Amino acid sequence: MTNDAEAVRAVLAGDIEQYAVLVRRYRDRYAGYATRLLGSVDAAEDAMQEALIRAYDNLGQCRDPANFRGWFFLILRNCCYAEARVRRRHGNHQPLDGADLVAEESGTPDTAMEEKEQRQDLERALRRLTEEQREVFVLKHYEGLPYEEIAKRTAVPVSSLKMRMHRAYDRLRATLMEKP
Amino acid sequence: MTDGPGYHPMVQRLLDGELTLRDLPPELRAEGEAALRSILPGPESSAVGFSPWFEQRVMAAIRVRPRPQPRPRTVWGWLTEAREIRLRLRPKLLALGALAGVALLVLTLVSRPTTVAVAGAGAGADSVYVRFVLYAPKVSSVALAGSFNEWDPGRTPLAPAGETGVWTVTLPLPPGQHTYAFVIDGQRWLPDPAAPAVDDGFGHRNSVMTVTATGGHTS
Amino acid sequence: MRESAIALLLLSGVSTALHGQAATPARLEGRVTPAVAEAVRAIADSVARTGLPVGPLYRKALEGGAKGVPADRIIAAVGTVASQLAQAAKALRSEPVAHDTDAIEAGGYAINAGLSAGQVADLARGNRPPQAVAASLRSAGTLAALGVPPAQAVALVHQWIAAGRSPDQVLLLPQQLQAAMARGASPAQAANGIAHGGQPGASGDHPEPPSHAQDRSHRP
Repeated sequence: MTNDAEAVRAVLAGDIEQYAVLVRRYRDRYAGYATRLLGSVDAAEDAMQEALIRAYDNLGQCRDPANFRGWFFLILRNCCYAEARVRRRHGNHQPLDGADLVAEESGTPDTAMEEKEQRQDLERALRRLTEEQREVFVLKHYEGLPYEEIAKRTAVPVSSLKMRMHRAYDRLRATLMEKP
Repeated sequence: MTDGPGYHPMVQRLLDGELTLRDLPPELRAEGEAALRSILPGPESSAVGFSPWFEQRVMAAIRVRPRPQPRPRTVWGWLTEAREIRLRLRPKLLALGALAGVALLVLTLVSRPTTVAVAGAGAGADSVYVRFVLYAPKVSSVALAGSFNEWDPGRTPLAPAGETGVWTVTLPLPPGQHTYAFVIDGQRWLPDPAAPAVDDGFGHRNSVMTVTATGGHTS
Repeated sequence: MRESAIALLLLSGVSTALHGQAATPARLEGRVTPAVAEAVRAIADSVARTGLPVGPLYRKALEGGAKGVPADRIIAAVGTVASQLAQAAKALRSEPVAHDTDAIEAGGYAINAGLSAGQVADLARGNRPPQAVAASLRSAGTLAALGVPPAQAVALVHQWIAAGRSPDQVLLLPQQLQAAMARGASPAQAANGIAHGGQPGASGDHPEPPSHAQDRSHRP
């Protein structure tokens, strides 16, 4: 299996088809992050495509090919925020159901239904957070990153991240209590 | 600014994973449990799938861009760069009804391209006249579009043979391979039922005609 | 709604990102939208810089325009054609036909039909005059498009060239295959039958149930 550094070097040497290795790997790795950050698969695909193309264009500037992941994540994050701005400007309000985000059910039909509803409720509630709140929530609870790692990636101090997160918890609770 | 009652700070730390339920005083445990259940996503929530075409469309965009070169720049300008053309290469869903209609049409139509191997005068010294024949009763017009006429149905209408339902056209083609399709009533594209079909890149099929010195051949 | 968003982005991108407004290539004028024409021209320019033929790109754009295909699909298809030409050129680069645009176009066609770059190179390497590489590639590609497994299609074409069949006979292999399929053979069986010089199904295999394609051929 080709690692990131090998793929980057191969592409820079002219074998552009090797870029597909990185496309697949980071599509899989960050689809969840982008989708939850933006609230829809469509928006996430657009942001991800933009990010992969920008990363390709600027591949020569990736100083440490072995850390393509960290470098790419920053590009993706930037593209996600840009995508969110574009969609807000064009009045693209996301549909309120989280159906497009839900994965397969598990367990008995009853618990599966309940679990599915709960997931959808949570995903709907996530959309009511600010982008910064949603991002830290997604990175910690969907991507499983510790605060220190999130701080490194987003250049935000841990104390600020915790503050955002705790406000996110409170707002989620308030939103979920509202539901009919 | 808080939205209603906020969580107790210890419950917040529970949600952060810094404390366990056991660490909480008894009076907070119910709140802690409820928070864990409703606020935190369960293990099944992680899978999100992009469309199966995602990789393909990104690579298609990559292939037509200039190759990345190692550059000595130390400052990233991409944050402030003007946006380039963003090509949203997303295949649209085809109207399945239209496809079904074409399939039905195919079952009732018949094509018998016959060939007249006459060296074409004025059409290129080695051109061969090829006659296309399509049996298509109850349609208003039939045309031919393909690699030999810049895919312009307007250039090559077929003529009806009276009321028989048979439509024909004869045209000079250079030897080699040509792709084409019939166009029914100006809008329905139909590959030749009797000829080899190849993918047209748009979700449909084109027909292949091979022209040799002895004539045009589909089968 | 999405189309207008795409058009808006394309149009705004065109004015900021392109240096020097170039005229729509005459060939595409009135046949595709200006935005498509511009995108295709850009792709064609980069393809031409590598010495590859641009005819197939323009033809694909014209085809898409005539068929009323949405702009982004036309551009994607043109991009795919460009990519297939590049793959074919790479496969043929060590062969005498490395600069033969007809061979490169035929290689692109074969790749589109399912042959690998390796199989394209293989056909070029195994070619014997007076057989033209382009004709071998087109024949193998059409066989694959008819359903013959690519490896088997390549082997059949090789076999016919080695047996001294005329260029026309090699070119008409797909038609012969279709005739055999009309008699009830599957593509692989029909190719096998042709390779062994006998009737399809001569080995006593049950022909597969007629496919839709074969039904069409049966109609009076």
